[in-house]
Amino acid sequence: MKKLLALLLTLAAFTILGCGSEEQTAVNDDRQVLNLYSWADHFDPVLVEKFEKQYNCRVNYDTFGNNEELFAKIQAGGAQYDLILPSDYMVATMLKLDMLEEFNLDNIPNAKNLTPDLRYPSYDPTGQHSLVYTWGITGIIYNTKYIKEKPQHWADLWNEKYEGRLVLMNDCREVMGMALKKNGYSNNSTNPEEVKKAFMDLKQLSPLVLAYDTDTIKQKFIADEGWIGTIWSGDASFVYKENKDIAFIIPEEGTVIWADTFAIPKGAKHKELAEKFINFFYGDDVSARNYEYVGYSNPITTARPYQSQEFLNDPMLKIGEEGKGRGEWLTDIGAALPMYDRYWTEIKTGR
Amino acid sequence: MKNGKLMVAPTVLWLSFFFVIPLLIVVAVSFASRTPYGQVIFDFTLNNYQRFFEPLYLSIFAYTLGVALLTTVFTIILGYPLAYFIAQLPKKWQQPGLILVMIPFWINFLIRSYAWVIILRTRGLANTFLLEMGWIDLPMQFLYNETAVIIGMVYALLPFMVLPIYVSLEQFDRRLLEAASDLGASPFTAFRKITLPLTLPGIAAGTILVFISSLGMFVVPDVMGGAKSALVGNLIQNQFLAARDWPFGSALSIILAIMALVLIVLYYKALSAQKGGKADAKDLA
Repeated sequence: MKKLLALLLTLAAFTILGCGSEEQTAVNDDRQVLNLYSWADHFDPVLVEKFEKQYNCRVNYDTFGNNEELFAKIQAGGAQYDLILPSDYMVATMLKLDMLEEFNLDNIPNAKNLTPDLRYPSYDPTGQHSLVYTWGITGIIYNTKYIKEKPQHWADLWNEKYEGRLVLMNDCREVMGMALKKNGYSNNSTNPEEVKKAFMDLKQLSPLVLAYDTDTIKQKFIADEGWIGTIWSGDASFVYKENKDIAFIIPEEGTVIWADTFAIPKGAKHKELAEKFINFFYGDDVSARNYEYVGYSNPITTARPYQSQEFLNDPMLKIGEEGKGRGEWLTDIGAALPMYDRYWTEIKTGR
Repeated sequence: MKNGKLMVAPTVLWLSFFFVIPLLIVVAVSFASRTPYGQVIFDFTLNNYQRFFEPLYLSIFAYTLGVALLTTVFTIILGYPLAYFIAQLPKKWQQPGLILVMIPFWINFLIRSYAWVIILRTRGLANTFLLEMGWIDLPMQFLYNETAVIIGMVYALLPFMVLPIYVSLEQFDRRLLEAASDLGASPFTAFRKITLPLTLPGIAAGTILVFISSLGMFVVPDVMGGAKSALVGNLIQNQFLAARDWPFGSALSIILAIMALVLIVLYYKALSAQKGGKADAKDLA
């Protein structure tokens, strides 16, 4: 029995999953520390190093996997972050709960170069608490090798020919929003009739679905596993680099536009340094290099001369740019969320 | 005695801070409600437990039990012969055999799940091999279905079945088999009447470990099942993240924990009955 116990303990020791690192405190380092909390692989590390040198500071970069994780950690307090990157709807939530500092825009002169259509978005109309860093738009991706008729509407996904080849995002608001748009409704609808209609449509669609996937959807289209589906413009650009057979469209009836934004949580200790960081990454040459690294459209209008031809000609990013006007920001639907979640659970059980 | 108490003090402290208190918090939250933004309000309510009885959630629990049961059956079918094989190896080969069973645990489970995706996907190792050999004309769809979920879970939990069975086989007195053979029993009868009953505690221990672990799984259905057939683990994970409903997630966790507890109690009852039976046999001898 002792032996069994020892074996099981060894197993248990190796089963423990690696969790996100907590804040580290430098021992022999009196440089200022910028505690950054963002998505993984969201900044060109070479540029972060450059920032550290230029401002004689250290950037402590922690990562989160989704907005809810970020929200939970900031709400719980204790985590001393100076700069966070919530998405659009999360900015709205955090503003409602008074969790964000107002920027001192004197420290961020480069903010004036941000493209005007992203400067005062509906989730933060004053533009005083958040600044768009990366943005994208959801569209239909399809493989021209297998799909001969070009899809134009969301309704084109409802086609039995795509059985076992359709990949949808593993995200309640994205998928429900898509079905709402298909019916001509707002993707923030809280009208039970409209939401139910969207749900009924999705229930009809679910037998055709190969997988719901957000994290590794790119691999599914690169490896020809998925032939058609929904994807963000930045991911479409990534897939296109590896698989030239794919095409991307933004349906006319509208879609989801999203942004990850710079924001400073209430009580941040190094607010000014955080603002300098934003300004640095909004610089023309820095942003040109950085967005080519992260693979998203550059929202800094004055950076174009610094950009490579390849980046400027990226067809997927171009399609995203052109479709920008068709995007509708997701807002926090608050009290309607349980209704969405219930429908989503039912779609995902497939029964 | 005094010293003994002192020595367990760190353990007791550790357990109360990192096990008992968090568990009590989960219980408390499961009776709370929440604001639209996910903040927990501590008003005593049974709503979260009532919600569990909706057909949608009951069906997810039933489905999870079915998947867990299938996983357990397959780990026994695969694990027993493997454990038997290792146990009958010469002594010096047994330890390396066990280490081979455990080596995959040195790699993070998520990475191993994605490794399976690379093996099984349309352009993966398995399909490439089958296509190259000319056995199939079109790639087969191994992934993103229930079979893939079962494969992933059986793979992940197999060691939990092999190890306890191995231990019971190792303690098993092989002279009993010789005696059976002398008395004219065929190898199959000897296995059925002697080896199997005497290694039953190992199978039971493995069953509990595998069954309970599979009840809480959520990585495999997402990665290998294409997130199409939610298990209770996925449901709970979703409540804590996207749905921002910690109270309902907590209630589901408590229900799952109670189910596991009931199973363990049943197991111990069955085991003690078994032990009673064995004692009788010894008395007779």
